[in-house]
Amino acid sequence: MSEQTGKQLSKEEKDARFEAELLPVLDPLYNFAYRLTLDEDDANDLVQETYLKAYRFFDYFEQGTNAKAWLFRILKNSFINEFRKKSKQPAKVDYSEVEGYYNSDDVEGEGGVASTTDMRTESVQDLIGDEVASALNALPVDFRTVIILCDLEGFTYEEMAKILDIPIGTVRSRLHRARNSLKEKLEKYAKSMGYNS
Amino acid sequence: MESRITETHQKLSEDGHESECDKIVMLLDLMIDGEASSEQQAYFNTHIEECVPCFESHQKQKLLKGLVCGHLKRVIVPESLALSIKARIQETV
Repeated sequence: MSEQTGKQLSKEEKDARFEAELLPVLDPLYNFAYRLTLDEDDANDLVQETYLKAYRFFDYFEQGTNAKAWLFRILKNSFINEFRKKSKQPAKVDYSEVEGYYNSDDVEGEGGVASTTDMRTESVQDLIGDEVASALNALPVDFRTVIILCDLEGFTYEEMAKILDIPIGTVRSRLHRARNSLKEKLEKYAKSMGYNS
Repeated sequence: MESRITETHQKLSEDGHESECDKIVMLLDLMIDGEASSEQQAYFNTHIEECVPCFESHQKQKLLKGLVCGHLKRVIVPESLALSIKARIQETV
């Protein structure tokens, strides 16, 4: 029995198991990374780093448990560390704050709806998607994160609590505030689309 | 601008029936995320049958969630990413 326990897997067996269990999460993980960093190269780096960390700790991963939540948690932590390092470069960090400022200003103003969207001919689907994306991107990263985890990836509150290392009560209140914020940003646009009440 | 979603909640608090509607506001997210218990669901559904502002808040909250999950474009994973992850893992001892 002792020779055949999980820790005794050959490198090939371990790699095969790793790829089979964790690589299917690549698509949602990359999308999450992209929504956090708003940059394809950064998302690429962050996802690679996440998988390398996961590989290093793969012995601690219990087969059949929630691989997606586990990888999301690793990625989120890597992002926080990375983000803190990069916060020494003011331009990168200030960007979202500046954008948020202008967007919230825009909500108050009487100016044209969707001024951030250009006037190229795009399908309505694209326009809505672009508007949702720019509203979401303008949210503080903590707000953006809970909305992505919940609405885009369909995690439960309990899974989100584990991924983010916060109590479920905090998940709920953060989600509530995040949605209020997103609603404010989308409100004017929604009205223009006939969703007004 | 009576229809401002964010103001709807504030107005409720100034109105008479604040406690009931405030409870409903707190349940909105649980309802649209499928996290409400059966008691909470029953309470919520009974209330919105007779309260128009709360009914509308619920519709708006569902719409908001639908906008994110239905319209936010997914980015396409670069083909090279999976390959380079596999390669880097194989190098790792």
